[in-house]
Amino acid sequence: MSRRAAALAWACGAAAVAALPLLVKNAFLLHVVILILMWTVLGAAWNVLGGFAGQVSFGHAALFGIGAYTTIILFLKAGVAPWWGIPLGGMAAALGSVPIGLICFRLRGPYFSLATLAVAELAKLVALNWESVTNGPVGFLITDLPQLRLLGHAVDWEAKTPFYALAALLMGFALFATARLRQSRLGAYLVAIRENEDAAEAIGVDTVRAKVLTLALSGFLAGLGGGFYACYFRYVDPDAVLNIGLSMEMVFIPMVGGLGTVCGPLVGAVFLTTVGEAVRERFQVGHLIFYGLFMMIVIRFLPEGIWGRAALALRGRRKEAKGVGAA
Amino acid sequence: METFVQSLVSGLLMGSLYAMIGIGLTVIFGVMRIINLAHGEMVMLGMFAAFFSQKLFGIDPFLSVLALAPAMFAVGVLIYRFLLRKVIPGGELNTLLYTAGMSLLVANLALFAWSGDYRTITLSYGLAPLRPLGIAVPVALAIGFGMAAAVTTALWLFLGATDTGRAIRATSQNREAAILMGIDVEKVAVLTFGLGTALAGTAGVLLAPSLYLYPTVGELLIVKSFVIVVLGGLGSVPGAIAGGLLLGLVESLGAVYVSATYKDGLGYVLFLLVLLYRPAGLFGVGKS
Repeated sequence: MSRRAAALAWACGAAAVAALPLLVKNAFLLHVVILILMWTVLGAAWNVLGGFAGQVSFGHAALFGIGAYTTIILFLKAGVAPWWGIPLGGMAAALGSVPIGLICFRLRGPYFSLATLAVAELAKLVALNWESVTNGPVGFLITDLPQLRLLGHAVDWEAKTPFYALAALLMGFALFATARLRQSRLGAYLVAIRENEDAAEAIGVDTVRAKVLTLALSGFLAGLGGGFYACYFRYVDPDAVLNIGLSMEMVFIPMVGGLGTVCGPLVGAVFLTTVGEAVRERFQVGHLIFYGLFMMIVIRFLPEGIWGRAALALRGRRKEAKGVGAA
Repeated sequence: METFVQSLVSGLLMGSLYAMIGIGLTVIFGVMRIINLAHGEMVMLGMFAAFFSQKLFGIDPFLSVLALAPAMFAVGVLIYRFLLRKVIPGGELNTLLYTAGMSLLVANLALFAWSGDYRTITLSYGLAPLRPLGIAVPVALAIGFGMAAAVTTALWLFLGATDTGRAIRATSQNREAAILMGIDVEKVAVLTFGLGTALAGTAGVLLAPSLYLYPTVGELLIVKSFVIVVLGGLGSVPGAIAGGLLLGLVESLGAVYVSATYKDGLGYVLFLLVLLYRPAGLFGVGKS
């Protein structure tokens, strides 16, 4: 995409996001849209590591949980307002990801995935048992969010709109970060690592450093998502923010949307969250049944994901057109 | 001292069943290089099959296992033939994620169908534990241990002394060489996946009277079985046996001497340490 076209796409996207709450008045629909935005952030978090660098983590719930706990503990125990708490949650998750990365990145392929799974389970155990900090299995509940005045109006936290704006901001940041990463030198390193780690090392890429840095970025985004979750649902406990299912959902979203693409997580989140919430209305675990099913169907028939396939088709058509022009 | 012996015994009994689950996972990995994340769900299906055959038909789990083991074998064969086989050429990670999807699907379908209630199987003869030498041994666990030992020995003989067993080991050691020797590796793969699933299901049936049954129990068991196979070395059957017994011991001794709440955590820490420092397993026989 040329630079001008990219700028245009960003502007259109931003306009659509800004216009949406004016069009959607239904609280449930707005709730679904907020969830889509949140899952886009989480999907993007997993995607920078899993999609670009090809490192499949089954433990991202740990990073999400660190973010959620940091935000809620800072608010309840130290009175730090959530709009500071969310970025701090992201930073805490980024910090927490460094030792995780240094341990797990010594392993490759499926072994790395298994190690991250064990780390996430350990994190859950710690949260369950370190009662003085995490309140154990009971967790935390926020009853009132602090007063905030914006442009002379008091923000109404009972309404969905402020959360929508917050989630939209986070999603914009996540997609922008992914887009920048893709064009950066680090992004090129990651693709090299994904395609052939030994070859990448042989041409002088510091693979461990590149992977640890990426995990930190991934952790930052996952922590932001976790912090947002804590404020929006106002409730954090080990089962809610640290379970394996959450890690899996973070894998599925970019997988269905398109691994290693900027828009993939958004497409995946729109698709999975819409279907998921529609089914969840009927029965509690319905969305997980469909997530599992979609995962199997996508890997079998559409391994590039929805957006990945669309992008491929588009590129193919453009090339064809050019070829005809040259002839 | 008595506490020590007691936890030693219960650790070994539990470990024998863990070992069976681990063997299933490890033979599948050995032959197909698949880490089957849905393995825990196969154990869960075995547990529920045992529960329902007792509840609906009044058949004792230690009897119904005779029918359920072949049934689980068939389930494994069908899963491989119609689902997994088409995905394997897509590479290791795709297969891993595919089985992750399958695990989520099966567990949540079960949750939908059977609800998340905790169920138990009570055996009329299993209410009071046996007390040889003053050590309490739950009857159900003791029978489970006996059957697990029998199945494991039979499997050992099968792998060691029959042509099919040799074909499985050969494919596991070197797929290309096995093909050159005229082994139909595709057939071996179907058979192995069925076998691994049957082992998981059988372990589930045997575990059912000793554990709580709930649809997402597989989540707990799959992580345990990773610990087991990594401890013993991925792809190694004797390794999985040793790993299973070791995990049983670590859990029961750890619960007594370290901390009951961090019992499960000990297994994970051991797992990470072994992955980092002995990736071929404690006995150095696995494949990395």
